[in-house]
Amino acid sequence: MIRPTRTTGGVAALALALTVVALLIASPAAALAAGSLALFLLWRGWRFERDLAAVAASLKVNREVDRTILRQGATTTVRVTTTLTPPPGMEVRVRDVPPAVAAGDAPLCRPGETATYTIRLMAPGETTFGGVLLEANDAFFSRDLLVSRLNAPPLRVFPAGTTATGGGRGTGVGETEVDRKATLDGQSIRGFRPYRSGDDPGRIDWKISARHNVLYVREQTGLEGGAPLIVIDLPARDADPETFARFSMAVSGAVEGAIRSRDGCSLLVVTSGEILRFLPETRDLREALQALSGLAPVEPRNPLYRAPGPTVLAARARLPGGSGGQEKTCLARLGGVLTAFARESRSPFSAAIAAALARVEATEVHLYTLITEGDRSHLTQVIHQAKARGMRVVASAPDRAPILPGVDAVEVI
Amino acid sequence: MTDRRFLLLCAGEVLVVAAGNLAAALILQVLILAAFLDDRRGYLVFVPAAALYAAVLAASGTILLPLLALAGALGCGYAALTLQDYRLTLRAGGAA
Repeated sequence: MIRPTRTTGGVAALALALTVVALLIASPAAALAAGSLALFLLWRGWRFERDLAAVAASLKVNREVDRTILRQGATTTVRVTTTLTPPPGMEVRVRDVPPAVAAGDAPLCRPGETATYTIRLMAPGETTFGGVLLEANDAFFSRDLLVSRLNAPPLRVFPAGTTATGGGRGTGVGETEVDRKATLDGQSIRGFRPYRSGDDPGRIDWKISARHNVLYVREQTGLEGGAPLIVIDLPARDADPETFARFSMAVSGAVEGAIRSRDGCSLLVVTSGEILRFLPETRDLREALQALSGLAPVEPRNPLYRAPGPTVLAARARLPGGSGGQEKTCLARLGGVLTAFARESRSPFSAAIAAALARVEATEVHLYTLITEGDRSHLTQVIHQAKARGMRVVASAPDRAPILPGVDAVEVI
Repeated sequence: MTDRRFLLLCAGEVLVVAAGNLAAALILQVLILAAFLDDRRGYLVFVPAAALYAAVLAASGTILLPLLALAGALGCGYAALTLQDYRLTLRAGGAA
């Protein structure tokens, strides 16, 4: 709300004194003077608000940031130039408002001047500037107005590393190692496969291609195998926002780490019984982050109702032979019934998962989930299909989350 | 706004109170407040409001009732100003 200046206080006091005089001596002229001064202040307040609205409407901000994608704790320089048209009698100063997660203050400057300052981003996530603070005043009123709609450009801050409680790559003192092999920068050839549209031409092996008269590309690998498949299980809408923010950061960090340290990665975003996004074998960080943008908790639309899926049913159908003749016959019949069930229980979700796993040819699956006590059958199907293809499954879930059957290792988000 | 100018305003108000009738007081008041201002944009919005108040004061023949009515009107004006300020805050935030 607008604040009165010293002059306004003086005029108000004068009006009050004139009111007292008017009542004491019953003077209409004094009453007129008192009332017209009060009306005068009201009119000035109305005019101030109107002028301020015009200033806010005319405000233009040109904000340049050295880097818009940076690591947690990194600094970046911001240059802001504001232009506006202040009406006569009004003085306006402008202060840029850094993101809420940033340390550093912007200087107060006049319109048209360029303010340069440095901020340090302290928390990971996607963040924006707070806007621009207008400090306007005239002879009678003053007001600070935050124009938060002018908050471009957005900044993307990646975690500097997972903390000790969450496990991590062990990059510094106090951080812990997790149950996974390190990746080496040097990569060797894991194998060859036919060229597919979108593959890097630099990976084409011309000798093999010439020998078979078909383009072949080299598949390189570190110790962990080829490009991992990162599966993101979006939680339901009732997920805790803070936990989901941590989850998003963990996923972004994993994708960035995979792309920087390995030969890219594949992304598969699922929710209960539904594939939302699939990005096979990308090495483009921007493309991967674009695929991750806008992910939010969703309302499950195609629940699987705890169906185990064909892979689990097929595994159940593989019964031991039995010792005696009658037992052997009984088990064989039971196996036949279960096999028939497994054959008939195919679902679009499991078929889509199988196709995605076949497409990516990964040797390791990183499953990110905020697993709850509800229906986890879609995760069970993903895990068992991956295991059936010989893939190693590493699940990343919150602390004290239920254990998913079939995973090889668990990391805490 | 200087203290000197404020003292001149106070002196002018003494003249207004000393004026013989309401019409003269109104004219004096409008002139004094106009002299008090550097920038008189929109001043013509204030003048009719002051004239209306003077008319009410002259018609009522008392002092207390017009003052109470003015206090009510000022309260409504303040509420309208608060609403205007709230809308400005919303617009600045990009909500409207």
